[in-house]
Amino acid sequence: MKLHHKGYVLVSLADIDNCWDDMLIQSALQEYDLSGRYWINHFSIILNELASAGLIIRDDYRFDEQSNRLSFNYSMSEFGRMRMRDTGLI
Amino acid sequence: MINNAEQALKLHHARNQRWGFRWALWTAVLWGAWYIPGTALWFEAPYSTIDPFSQSIRLSATAVMTWIHAIAVFIFLLIWNASLGKLKEYGRTIIRFRKLSKWYALASLFGGPMAIFGSYMAMGFVGPVFAAVTSLFYPVIGVVIARLWYKEKISTQAALGMVIIIMGGIVIYGPGLLGEDLMGNHAWLGYLGGIMSAIGWGAEGAVASRAMDVSDPDVGIQCRFSFEVLFWGLFILPILAGFTDLPIKQLIIDTVTSFEAMKWMLLASICHAYCYTAFYKSFSLIGVGRGEAIGNLYGVFAVIFVAVFTLELPEWYFIIGLVLTMTGSFVMFREPADSVSELRAL
Repeated sequence: MKLHHKGYVLVSLADIDNCWDDMLIQSALQEYDLSGRYWINHFSIILNELASAGLIIRDDYRFDEQSNRLSFNYSMSEFGRMRMRDTGLI
Repeated sequence: MINNAEQALKLHHARNQRWGFRWALWTAVLWGAWYIPGTALWFEAPYSTIDPFSQSIRLSATAVMTWIHAIAVFIFLLIWNASLGKLKEYGRTIIRFRKLSKWYALASLFGGPMAIFGSYMAMGFVGPVFAAVTSLFYPVIGVVIARLWYKEKISTQAALGMVIIIMGGIVIYGPGLLGEDLMGNHAWLGYLGGIMSAIGWGAEGAVASRAMDVSDPDVGIQCRFSFEVLFWGLFILPILAGFTDLPIKQLIIDTVTSFEAMKWMLLASICHAYCYTAFYKSFSLIGVGRGEAIGNLYGVFAVIFVAVFTLELPEWYFIIGLVLTMTGSFVMFREPADSVSELRAL
């Protein structure tokens, strides 16, 4: 059985040092065979919740004026790795 | 000078904060609304026929009511998650019991058997006003646990807002305490129940938030109710039915065959299902402390809904309580959105 969504996002980010949100979201959409604005927003919210809770860190951000979209570059925090160990993700 | 990216970041944080408070406010509205069908249920058979002085039957009826209520809430949450396309996610989450969903099981123990039972003990052995007042303190427990366990940040402004909201609740319900027998027979059981309800609901938020670190709030709430259904249905009610002569089976049959009772039960459950959904969603955006403090406005909405449905105006001191709770809410909402964007002091 596949990992739950937040688990997958955490595992994906833990495998690389840091990553922009659109890449993480695309990877998640492929993994779960999902598409469309609803699921893009769903995974954006997941990243947002993980950052608010301190599991991942917003290292950088950029604003694309054409698409009017704010993107974040994320990396794992030590607390995030600890939570991943607690929950059997690593 | 602020550039467009910085402006967009500020807007992003402000939007998250607004959504967090919006969900928390929905919690309060639906929780307040829940009191109408939740109370009406006690006036329908089989509950209306129970002797008010027979505490053991009343507590058994509460257990039966809570179980059927949890099943109905579970069904409404199933509809919610199906419409969001999250049923598979529910399966992926609940199956990881040892590492993940066990926290939802613990949250359901705190919020179900401990808090609800405690609240009914407080109602039965001291009085309903006492039960309402003690429940108002649950955000304090939630904040303390979240602070000690995973370092949730709570600013001075948020703490001040929380204190003002609790004071508002006390002003609304406190004067009613004068009409209750605070030193009656077995009153200590009522005090114990009051403490249980405050600890239960406060701890539930903190434990659930711990689980939501790595799982979805919509799915999490369904896991929590799945476990509550199992606790009552597989452990507590079978033990009561098997080892005591309490009429558990009869109460279940009489409830589900009563159209009037089930009508109120379903209305209460729909309020509770989406109240809890909003509650859990607020935690991941504004934290347990703020979510529970704004959720405490249920006291105000309960009085308003009672006034709307009974056409009886509340007492004059409700206005003072209302002003205080609104002031407390605004104090919390005026907190800079940046400080809410990172909920933990890590």
